[in-house]
Amino acid sequence: MSKGFASNYRIVLLGFVVLAGFGGVALRLVDLHVLDREKLVSYVDRARRQITVESARRGDILDMRGDTLATSRSLIVLGVDPQALLKEDEAKWPQLATMLKMPLADIEKVFNEKTRAAAPDDKSDEDRRIRWAKLSEEVEESTYDQINKLDIKGVYGHRTFRRAYPHDSMAAHLIGYVNKEGQAAAGIESYADFYLRGQDGWRESEKDGLRRELAQFRTREVTATSGYSVVLSIDSAVQHIVEQEIAEIVKKFNPAKVSVIVSEPNTGFVLAMANYPSFNLNEYNTLSKDEMGSMRNISITDVLDPGSTFKIVSISGALNEGLTTPAARFNCTLESIDYKGKPRRFMRDDHKFDHPLSVAEIISHSSNVGAAQLGMLLGEDGVYRYARAFGFGEKSGFPFGGEVSGFLNTPDKWSGVDITRIPAGYSISATPLQIHYAMAAIASGGVLMRPQIIRQVRDASGEVVYNFTGSVRRHVVTTRTAEQMARMLEGVASPEGTAPMAAIPNFEVAGKTGTAQKLINGHYSEHNHVGSFVGFFPASRPRVVISVIVDDAKLPNGRIAYGATVAAPSFKRIGEQLIQYMDIKPVIEPGRNLLVMDGGRR
Amino acid sequence: MNKTDKNAFVNQLLVYTLVMICFSGSIGLGTVWLRHQISVTANNTKLLEQRIVETERHMSELNTQITEEQTIAVLNRRNADWSLGLVQPREPQVVRVNESAERRLAARNNAEVFASENAVVTPVRFRLPTIYR
Repeated sequence: MSKGFASNYRIVLLGFVVLAGFGGVALRLVDLHVLDREKLVSYVDRARRQITVESARRGDILDMRGDTLATSRSLIVLGVDPQALLKEDEAKWPQLATMLKMPLADIEKVFNEKTRAAAPDDKSDEDRRIRWAKLSEEVEESTYDQINKLDIKGVYGHRTFRRAYPHDSMAAHLIGYVNKEGQAAAGIESYADFYLRGQDGWRESEKDGLRRELAQFRTREVTATSGYSVVLSIDSAVQHIVEQEIAEIVKKFNPAKVSVIVSEPNTGFVLAMANYPSFNLNEYNTLSKDEMGSMRNISITDVLDPGSTFKIVSISGALNEGLTTPAARFNCTLESIDYKGKPRRFMRDDHKFDHPLSVAEIISHSSNVGAAQLGMLLGEDGVYRYARAFGFGEKSGFPFGGEVSGFLNTPDKWSGVDITRIPAGYSISATPLQIHYAMAAIASGGVLMRPQIIRQVRDASGEVVYNFTGSVRRHVVTTRTAEQMARMLEGVASPEGTAPMAAIPNFEVAGKTGTAQKLINGHYSEHNHVGSFVGFFPASRPRVVISVIVDDAKLPNGRIAYGATVAAPSFKRIGEQLIQYMDIKPVIEPGRNLLVMDGGRR
Repeated sequence: MNKTDKNAFVNQLLVYTLVMICFSGSIGLGTVWLRHQISVTANNTKLLEQRIVETERHMSELNTQITEEQTIAVLNRRNADWSLGLVQPREPQVVRVNESAERRLAARNNAEVFASENAVVTPVRFRLPTIYR
């Protein structure tokens, strides 16, 4: 019989000890998991759980050729935990200061400040230990790699994205900007924010005592989704040409404001839109209060008297209604005329004409008297109807920037002389964009297009998500009327017209000058003018519409800033560059030899 | 072993208890090892993810730098700094080829084949998209 190795007494003792041990463990478990559960769980949650947000990369803004106009740059916000610094790392501080381009004294100040004074409402009244002090907000990845190689304990950074605008001030009014808080504040940045912003990701996990993530305890994870890229209709090369020309105008004439717009007539896409004054997108926050006005896109927010550029409205209207023909002649030497039983005094023309002017000559010589008589043919209602049809007095639908609708009274509010003023472009006000698109309606064969600025939306991999196409607002005049107008507008840039300096040989420039006196303190000024030239070419198959509007140019000896003087030459210079860049072919072949095509042999 | 003997039963119980403790211990150790492996794998995955993110960030930074170097202002400056003298062509310098260059070259090299054909001249016309008519 086996008795085993243990006596009853020993067995009972051992059993008791084992059971007591298990019992003790069980009691402790009950204590931890039942009695103190809530307190401990909340403590663990506080101490160990962490939710990490992963910033989404904001999409890029591209021009029509794919050049980046706005992008998100990866930067590191670098900081230090002063409690974790080691004495032996102090020798590396000068190197760190050099990398950060900061004075060593500033670094030492941050590193040596270990505590922060308690807040007034802090009951504990004890200074708080600093666990994070910022060193720099804009450390580049390459610099951060070097800093990591220094291996200074306690110095570490958080990655973030900052908006960067590689072209600085180019197309500033269109692109807009994202402020330091990451809020899209203006321009396309704000308008297309829905597409651009992306969606931040987040991760729920736990951390250890050294605040390092315990990856094995990740419970939920949502990856960040990068924002879409927005492709604009702007061409940075065209925009550059335009902005260079504006710089020339400013240098030469010191104007108060300048607006230049370039667009495609058949689609309504804006190729360039630039204004003076402007601002640098990368330094928007350095502007003083006085300079804040430069952030306004004056092409759509500011109004001016369109002057003679408006004459296309009444003349097109009269032609379209069959009330006149391009060859019909009008006496433009009259000082007044009876209209609806009352004498109406005309605005004076700058030139005296020794013969009745044809409609084509009224345009090319920009006769106020002739335009007024054509307006009278149409009548108040007709002029108003065509002005509205050409887009005056209403918003064009430009998608952002605080567009205004301009000022165009209904005929019942017109004064007795308005029928002589409005057809000549006075007593109404319009934005540069409205003036531009009215001319574009002629260029597109009588169709008023909606101004478009976005061509495409693409996802992060470059796939096209949405394509924007031209959008017709309305048919204004017939194609035949538009063609007649285009041919007559060619006369403006002819040697007999008001702006021969706008002509580009062999390219059929059609356009209209405008010189409007500025309304200052309720009176039209004799010294302050808005000079403009709005046109397109080639007239027979328009490729591009260009507007140059110069507000309050200063000419030597107080000369009047006619549109022909301050704007038409710029139109020509821009046009000549666009011919090369956009490969616009001459309508009239200059008839050069074909030596090149023949490989040098004839 | 006499299973009816009281001591023998206690001995068996003791042995089974020890076996159970060993077994439980093995399971415990196995679980710890498994958890450790999970932790190692998760950390490796995390490091890989971090490297991917860092690489993407580096690419993003590089792309931004490339974009900045390709801006018109910088290219103009380089043109001036390096005295390259690059300028836009002017209209008088341009010869436009309005016909198919391939066809012309082919015609020149195979004169006998194209001899019977007249030169193709494309007339210029006033054209508007049909949607506006």
